[in-house]
Amino acid sequence: MRVEVNPVDSYDQERAEIYVVKVTQDIQSAIDTLDNNCRVISVFDKEKTLICRTDKIYYFESIDKRTYVYTKDECFETKYRLYELEELLNQFFLRSSKAMIVNIRKIKSVKAEFNGRMTAELLNGENIVIARSYVKDLKERLGI
Amino acid sequence: MNKIKILFNQTLMISTAILFGVGIQMLICHFFKNDDMLTWPWYVPLSIVLAGFLCSLPTVLLIYDAEVAGKRMMVRIAIHFVLVGAIVSLCGYLFKWYETLDEYLPILIMYVVIYLFVWAATGWLTKSDEKRINAAIEDIRDQE
Repeated sequence: MRVEVNPVDSYDQERAEIYVVKVTQDIQSAIDTLDNNCRVISVFDKEKTLICRTDKIYYFESIDKRTYVYTKDECFETKYRLYELEELLNQFFLRSSKAMIVNIRKIKSVKAEFNGRMTAELLNGENIVIARSYVKDLKERLGI
Repeated sequence: MNKIKILFNQTLMISTAILFGVGIQMLICHFFKNDDMLTWPWYVPLSIVLAGFLCSLPTVLLIYDAEVAGKRMMVRIAIHFVLVGAIVSLCGYLFKWYETLDEYLPILIMYVVIYLFVWAATGWLTKSDEKRINAAIEDIRDQE
């Protein structure tokens, strides 16, 4: 496929037009990537290094200086620290506590608690805590 | 720094709540006892601020950032209620807000009403936040 990239002056002018005979899996993946501002990160599964799409990630958790990546039903490890991931990921990834970054798009619902923190139920049924100090950030990202 | 900010906010809130309680008490006195004058010794306004500060300590230590939920949180709230009540009673005794049981009872009732009101108001605000966040999340949630 011929690919043309034309520089523009501002982000507002950025757009992608795709001319294809058929939307294959690869094309759909490219569309998803452009549409969702999706990226990939490298993760480890035991000794294998894999590529994981960020839109498949539910949350990141730091335990004993190691960072774990949780998808719907799998867990991997990554070399990145949480502060590096915060810079790398898009606005849908929120620091929810000192040791966790959650994908807002994977939150099914939130429930407020007495102490100001919130419990978020994820689409895979897991529950995570959004600390009181990060609730304000969540509201800002959601435009509330 | 964050805890100092919470202490400051709590001190202001509790001091205002005590003044509000005194205001309501005077309103009742005005309409039902024809008692229109309130005279305070020089130290009473400062003692209200000090009581506000002392009452804010259990809130910061027991409620904010507490990593507990459910029944354990309810136990903490019960301890908080008793502790704050004890601080109000002690401050009242030391600063001569009351001298007889007849004078102490209105203070105790005022404390319970303010305590319940603050929790009810906080709960209402938190639930309204919860609803707004859930509505905003629904718009961006992934389909799985």
